[in-house]
This record gives sequence, structure tokens and C-alpha cells, in this order.
Amino acid sequence: MTLITPADGCVVVTGAGSGLGRALAKAFCDEGFSTVGLGRRASALADTRELCGNSFEALACDVANPDAVRDSFAEVAEQRGRVAVLVNNAAVYPRRDFLAETPESFARTMAINLGGLVNCSHAALEQMTANGRGRILNVATFADLNPLPASSAYSVSKGAARILTRALIADLSDRFPDIVISDWMPGMLQTEMGIPDGLPPERAAIWGAKLALLRDPSLTGTTFEMDMEILPPRGLKGKIKDALLMRRRKPRRL
Amino acid sequence: MTHPATQVTWDAIVIGTGIGGGTLGRALAEAGWRVLFLERGHADSRQAQNGLSEIFVPEARAARGLWPTPIRATVDGITQDFYAPLGAGPGGSSVFYAATLERPERHDLDPTPGKPHPTGGWPVSFDAFAPYYAHAAALYRVYGSPDPLSPETALPLRPPPPLNAVEDNLMRSLKAAGMSPYHAHTALEGGPDCAKCLGHKCPRVCKMDGRSAGLEPALATGRATLVTGAQVTRLITRDGVVRFVEARLGQETLTFEARQVVLAAGALNTPRLLLASATETTPNGVANSSGMVGRNLMFHLNEMVALWPKGRHRQTTATKAISFRDLYHRDGDRFGTVQAMGIRASYGEIVHYLNRMLAQKGLSRLAPLSRVPAALAYRLFGSAQIFVGLMEDLPYPENRVTHDASCPDQITLTYTLHPELKARRAAFRKAMRRALRGHRHVFLGLQPELNWGHPCGTLRFGHDPATSVLRPDGRTHDVVNLWVSDASFMPTSMGVNPSLTIAAYALHVADQIQKAPS
Repeated sequence: MTLITPADGCVVVTGAGSGLGRALAKAFCDEGFSTVGLGRRASALADTRELCGNSFEALACDVANPDAVRDSFAEVAEQRGRVAVLVNNAAVYPRRDFLAETPESFARTMAINLGGLVNCSHAALEQMTANGRGRILNVATFADLNPLPASSAYSVSKGAARILTRALIADLSDRFPDIVISDWMPGMLQTEMGIPDGLPPERAAIWGAKLALLRDPSLTGTTFEMDMEILPPRGLKGKIKDALLMRRRKPRRL
Repeated sequence: MTHPATQVTWDAIVIGTGIGGGTLGRALAEAGWRVLFLERGHADSRQAQNGLSEIFVPEARAARGLWPTPIRATVDGITQDFYAPLGAGPGGSSVFYAATLERPERHDLDPTPGKPHPTGGWPVSFDAFAPYYAHAAALYRVYGSPDPLSPETALPLRPPPPLNAVEDNLMRSLKAAGMSPYHAHTALEGGPDCAKCLGHKCPRVCKMDGRSAGLEPALATGRATLVTGAQVTRLITRDGVVRFVEARLGQETLTFEARQVVLAAGALNTPRLLLASATETTPNGVANSSGMVGRNLMFHLNEMVALWPKGRHRQTTATKAISFRDLYHRDGDRFGTVQAMGIRASYGEIVHYLNRMLAQKGLSRLAPLSRVPAALAYRLFGSAQIFVGLMEDLPYPENRVTHDASCPDQITLTYTLHPELKARRAAFRKAMRRALRGHRHVFLGLQPELNWGHPCGTLRFGHDPATSVLRPDGRTHDVVNLWVSDASFMPTSMGVNPSLTIAAYALHVADQIQKAPS
């Protein structure tokens, strides 16, 4: 599989002020990429820059705000040239019982977790479709399958984000096969959003960065969990077809 | 708000930006004319690479440069709605074509000894057309090798890329079978990293089509303007002159003005537009005093055959490189050329093909069952290359594009497969089978299959205003400043792909239009 190189352009990571986003930014910088981190808190981004060095640029920006995102991407284009990779990582996970949510607090979570994905993907795709190539990796979860208690807004917004990935593919993949779009489940992480005995985000970030730098069009529409591809479930007809075509699919590993 | 293009009296308005409109508009713009292109479709990113699609959401089709709605075809009394391989966007259908630009034979245009012409001959002879064919081949950067059977002066062809192992193998075995194959004439700029975008949009300026060889060079002159999303609804004429071109642009209806108006909307849509422009004074439609607008609709008949190269081959790419004309005209029968299609028998194509076959028999509900045989066929076909024999269709007035006031925006047509056509098809299949003797091959069609990508003939050109719509120079007999530059003009469908002929004719019309008094 061919790899995206620093010559192809810069990397944008959202939610780069903490946890997985920070670790991803570090991983991209270590690979020699000019990396732009978006995040709400300037001070947290400054800490990421401390960690990453000069190839990291912090852009304080609320991904839920379409105008701010548009401006940030315009600035990136002006200063760093084309965006080769976008990692949609920014998300919030407010643990709230549904009765404790207000419609406004619920909408705010949607605006960040889903709206952020819409805003950033839209801005990045404007450039990527003009160039005919690009890579979008969406950090995703299984939260939508069996929503945990006190997780309604998170589960709904992250589930909707997975649908958005598929919808983007429906609109773009035949026209722009070299814009590669896929989901990645990093696993349970030892971050503010995660669990205390989870995986160190630096470890997961190695996989995420590796996946984000693969440009094989056949990755479009795939889901990777940690370092392993999750194959879509196969119905009976599909299984028969596979048998007829003597085609056994093996999950890819990073 | 008024559109700036409505404030100008243009030297020419060109309606449609496919091979016909693009080539003609380029010639006029390069000659110093101020040209307005009105294109129904929208422009996608220049990097888009999609091919044709069966997607049924009109907005999604429009975004992909596809004709947004199905056409309604009544063939032998059975009416079907389906998506024809039609484009709507800069370059029209040609951005999806396979760039096969072949010159026809002399007998396609002229009556020749032993080969009488079905209409007595085109009003412009083969020899008069020859310089335009040569010019078009140069503009479209055509490469290939000359047809060894042709006694004519060869087209100016650029040297073709070397053959791959499968192509070489097929070339040799066809020769051994007594055929005279040559490298097909293909409009690709080529080069080391040419992706051979046949059948889908080429993101570079490599595949030469109505967009890259017509529209874009026209715009580069600075004298041409393109308005996309402009759906021309009618031509407004007075006293035998087009005064205005009326178009819908979003929610607005606008009128544009020009000294000369050129219709290049394609052989299905150009006649539809003339019929839709009927008024009290021209109740049969514009330029239709002959009643011939929309008539003599022709397609080619596709005879598809899977052909296996001899020996063992693990070739996965499809070839488009081989063509032969040994069967073009045989024993008094007008057949046509045989060429590699540029596709392999993939699973999806086989499913599509089997389903169309079921639909023709009215058995569409069995479509889900076609997948299992298709899966088997896919294994079976393996390294087979698909060849197609294009068989000439002949003009019949009752085969026609119609205008249905109840669905004014839809392309509607009726077509009857004449006994003569069916008999000729049987003879063509027999001739192909004989020619391919010694090769493992399977014919893919049971029923006659019309090539919906090659419509032509619906505004035939000729000297007699009673039997033709266009004059020999491409202008309508009835309307002094109305010209047509698409496949509508063709009195007969020839035995080759129409694109080079459309481009050559566009250059001829561009010459004539410059000689016309303003």
C-alpha cells in the first residue's frame, strides 16, 4: 500500500489539546508531517506544541462553530498548503442521565461530535475535491450499538457520525476514489474520556497515524478496531457468493 | 437579478458542450467569435473520475454529470424507462466515452460500385469530408495504426503505445484466423502515467473529449463564456430567424441573444427541443416544415462476444486496442467494425447484462436470481476480453424521437426493429462466428441489443427541404440562423463509432457558419 508523505501536504487533527488527539499529533510530527491541531483550549494546545515541537501548529477553534472552522482551514491552506489528511478526533462525552440533560445540552454534544465532523470534513473536502485526493479518518466508537446509561447524547452523536462516514462515501467515492474515508475505533483508552486501566493513547496513536497515512482506495468504507480491520457481517447470500467465488476475506492488520 | 450573459448579443450561442458543441465552439472562438455555451448540466470538480451510474436520485446524477432523468423508449411496442448513457455537464456524454475515434468507410457516405447507399449518399462526399476528418483526428490527438484493408489516405495518426502480452497474442491469433486487425484509433494524449480513463471522466487533459478538446480550449481563448445549469426550454423564432434562446437557470427563466444559434444537444435532445419550441405559427415545431424532425432515429446494434486469448494469461486489464474491419461490408450486407470494448467481463457487468436481458423478456422480477449465474460466469470468464461488433442501423421515418406534452422534459422515443435489421444481424453473427473460428468465444446476447450511446439521424442533412431538416452546410432549411452540430445530421449511421464524424462535421459547420451573412 502506498503511503501519504509530508510532500503530499499537512495533517489536521481535531481535539489535539488532550488525550488521543495530542498523541496523534505527536505521532504525525514524529513522521515528519507538518501538523495542525484544532482545539478549543489554547493553553492545552500550547502543551501539545511543547510536546511536538515546531512542526506542530495550534489553531484555537471550536469545531462546533462552522465559521470558525472555515476560517481555520483557510488559514491552514494559506500557511501550510494543502491538507493531505484530516483526523476527526474531537469529541465530548458528558456522562448525563437523559433526565439530567436539557435539550440545549444534548444539542451542544451533537454540535461538537456530529457538527464538528460535518464542519471539518466539509472544509477539508473543498480542498481535497479540488485536488482529487485526500484522506479522512474518523475516530469512532461502538457506543451507538448498545448505548450505556448516562450516554444518550454521546451514543447518538457518535452513531450519527458513523452514518455520516457512509453518507460521505455514497456521495464521493465513485467521483473521487483517491479521497479515502474510513472509521477507526481506537479501543478503550486511558484518557479523560476513557477508563483508568485503558490503553495508553500513545500506543493507539501509532496505529491511528499509520492508518491515516494509508491511501489505498480499498480502505474507503472500512472500519478498523485498534490495529485490525473489522469485516462487515456477511448475510447468507453473501456467504454463498463468497463460496462460489472461492473468495475468503481476511481482515487486514496494520 | 439579470444574468450578465443576457446583456450581450453573442456572435454565436452553442447549446450543449459535447463533441459537437465543444468542437464547433472551439473553432469559432479560435476564429475570433464571441461564443456563449449553454450547458444543461453542472460542473463538478475537474478531478472527478466517475463513470456512468444507475443511481436513481436526479440530484446525485446531476452532481456526477449524468443526464438526471430516465429516457422513455418504446421498442417494438414495449415501453421502458431507463437511464441512457447520456451526460449532462461540461463535455456532455463524451466525458464518459471510450474515446474510439474511427473514420467511416467511403461507402458509408457515398454510393460506390457494388455498394449502393441506403439514401443515395450524403450531401457532402467522403472526399469533401476528408480534410475535416484529418483535422479532427489531429485536434483529438488520435493514436493508432492504419487499417490495412483501407485503400484511402490514412488519417494522421500518432504512434500507438506498445501492445501488452494479451493484445499481442490476440492480434497474432486474429491474423492467423485471416483477419486484419489494427490498433484501434483512440483519442488519448497518453504518456507514461496515462490512466486510460475510458468509460469514465479523465481528471487530466489526457482523454480528448468535448470538454478537453473543445470547451476548455474555447474558454482559454478568452472569447467564450460557459453558463452551466442552463436548461434550454425553447427557441423563440420570428420570420424564420431565431430571436431568443430561452433557458431555465435555477428558478429563473432567462433569454439569450445571438447572431447565430447552434444546437448541439445530441441526437435525442436536439430534435426534442425543436418539437418543444412549437408555437401557433410553427405548430409542428421549429425547423420542421418537412415533418422530419426527430425521424430516422438510428442506433447501432451491439453484438457482444467474449473472446479468450490463446494460451495462459493472467492479464487483469481490459484491452481497447484492437479493431478489425474484415466484416464491415460482406456479400452485399452492411455490417460494421469489430473492436475490443475496453471492459472485462466483471461480475457487475455480467449482472447488469443479465438483468437487461431479463427486462427485455419482461422478467425483471427474476433479477435477484441473476446474481448466482453471474457469479459463476465471472469465474468462467476469467481472462476473456469483450469484443463488440457494431452493426449499422438503417433510417426508417417511423423510428423517432417524440415530444410528449405530458412529460415535456423527458426524452421519449419509439423504435421498431425491422425484419431487415434482424436478418442482417443473424448474418452478422454468422460472419463473426466464422471470423473467430479457432478462438474460444461466447456470444453474450440473445436478443438484438441497441447501442443507446450512439443515437443519430434525427435531423438528417440533405439538399431537399421536403425530405431533410438541415442543409448540407449544417443550417436548418427553415431558419436562417439556426445550425445543428451533433449526430442528428447523419443520414445513415455508418459502421463505426460516431464521435470522429461528429467532430469532423462540427469543423465543417464551423467553416460554413463563418461564411454565412450575419
